[in-house]
Amino acid sequence: MKLIMAGILAGLLAATAARADEMVFTSWGGTTQEAQTKSWAAPFEASSGIKVLQDGPTDYGKLKAMVEGGSVAWDVIDVEMDFAIKAAKDGLLEPIDFNVVPKAGLDPRFTTDHAVGSFYYSFVLAWNKGAVSGEPAGWADMFDLTKFPGKRTFYKWSAPGVIEIALLADGVPADKLYPLDLDRAFKKLDTIKSEIVWWDSGAQSQQLIASGEAAFGQLWNGRVFALEQDGADVGVSWNQNMTAADVLVIPKGSKNKASAMKFLAAATSPKSQAMFAEASGYAPINTAAKAEMPADVVKSLPDAYVDGQINLDMNYWAENRDAIAERWYAWQAK
Amino acid sequence: MSGNLLHRPSILRRPDGIGGAFPALVLIILFFVVPVVGLLLRSVTEPVPGLQNYATLFGDGTYARVFFNTFLVATVVTAVTVVVAFPVAWMLAIMPPALGSIVFGIIILSMWTNLLTRTYAWMVLLQRTGVINRTLMDIGLISEPLPLINNLTGVTIGMVYIMLPFMILPLVGTLRAIDPMTLRAAALCGASPFDAFRRILLPLSLPGIAAGGLMVFVMSLGYFVTPTLLGGTSNMMLAAMIAQMIQSLLNWGLGSAAAFILLLVTMALYALQLRLVGAKRTTGGI
Repeated sequence: MKLIMAGILAGLLAATAARADEMVFTSWGGTTQEAQTKSWAAPFEASSGIKVLQDGPTDYGKLKAMVEGGSVAWDVIDVEMDFAIKAAKDGLLEPIDFNVVPKAGLDPRFTTDHAVGSFYYSFVLAWNKGAVSGEPAGWADMFDLTKFPGKRTFYKWSAPGVIEIALLADGVPADKLYPLDLDRAFKKLDTIKSEIVWWDSGAQSQQLIASGEAAFGQLWNGRVFALEQDGADVGVSWNQNMTAADVLVIPKGSKNKASAMKFLAAATSPKSQAMFAEASGYAPINTAAKAEMPADVVKSLPDAYVDGQINLDMNYWAENRDAIAERWYAWQAK
Repeated sequence: MSGNLLHRPSILRRPDGIGGAFPALVLIILFFVVPVVGLLLRSVTEPVPGLQNYATLFGDGTYARVFFNTFLVATVVTAVTVVVAFPVAWMLAIMPPALGSIVFGIIILSMWTNLLTRTYAWMVLLQRTGVINRTLMDIGLISEPLPLINNLTGVTIGMVYIMLPFMILPLVGTLRAIDPMTLRAAALCGASPFDAFRRILLPLSLPGIAAGGLMVFVMSLGYFVTPTLLGGTSNMMLAAMIAQMIQSLLNWGLGSAAAFILLLVTMALYALQLRLVGAKRTTGGI
């Protein structure tokens, strides 16, 4: 009996020892996580000898349960930036060790004490050329049912973007968006509500536009980029494109914190960021990455459309996330 | 009771103790009862101790609408499922056994196909540019696509399709147990086929309808995937709302309260069923 116990114990110890050079990366799946695996995890494994296991999709409820239950299975997580700011406040995240992760070059817009940028993107107006006559010029056209009839698609979840679009379309100047006038935004959205089809994943947004199921919509630029690569007949307007970001965080109590920090350093390096941007069409959060990229890819990034670009206010959203979400889902359910 | 048992071979003895059920019972207590109690506790302790989560749920128009939607969808789905399932079950009951087992196989096979796959297939069929709308427009029956998806119609079609086996199976059991001579007797006494159906077949098959109907209703109440994919945001049901609270909003107190109400309603319905139809017929029908 003692022997068996000793054997089990030894086995367990061996299992934990084997875990020492492993870590778990969690993201949203699909083409984005594939690009992250190829551009970040694979080179990192080769250079550090630390194995990166992939998991997903990101689930904020799971993250909270893991941290509260003291059994954290994820080491690096790709999350939305406004969530990261709030999660840091709620004590769910480890602070970033900037002695390991070089801060130089990181876009300060997407760097906080508890998060480094993963990638950033713009919401752009995209349309199916076969389903729309003429060219929508900006967000206001999405609310013009006579000039541009047909279904329009927007991001389903309560997140930075749609509220701002409605306010801009209603004539609010870009520099006066915050604090958000929710009443005004919902009133504007009411005018087209019956024509809205919601997308809840990037793949769905592509499918809706490519099939013409929705004539036009608010899409992530990387998804439009992928549609163009596939030869879909889509048009895109970068007018008042809106930036938001995903960031990488380490959950509090991560069992492989040291490896996770090293991973962050590698993933945010100019080279890794350049590789990912090229594969995904999303923009690098390391300002030195552009030097590593082909000129035609650089041209397709949100960086090339800074004129009139709007930075969605992540701090405002982090602060008001719950209150806005409550209104948002109540309005949607009506 | 114990006196009776002595005269029976042990294998035929009715298991009246919980001995045999012990492993299953431990599993259920460990992985269902304990977490459910934990859930109930969260609903009255988070974010602060008290009943405020329940007050929010009952006091807010949005949540009331979600509750209403949930019961509306479950009711509509159950009603349509009964109507569609009955003829199929009746055919199965009177079919030659060889043919019947083939049809049975087809029905069961659909249950074994992945739920997401089946739901996505419906999306492809039902959307504005989908197969159904395209065909109808091509042959000139309609000029504008019918709104078949992102609304109650889409949810009902998708869910009825998924629930059908759960209605058909108990119903076939009940219908097979009905003596066909009763129908012949009705006809001999001058009843029209409709009268025979209404006054003989329907009342006799009620236990099966009740058993299947309750199962479909209860499953529908907690359904998540199909309403999310085929419904619009105004068709939001409880399960989707709970998922949203737990996963995105991290409002576990409110999510737990909603989950607990769903559980209570489900158990109440089951108790009602037991009273109306009786425990034996309820479980015997399935």
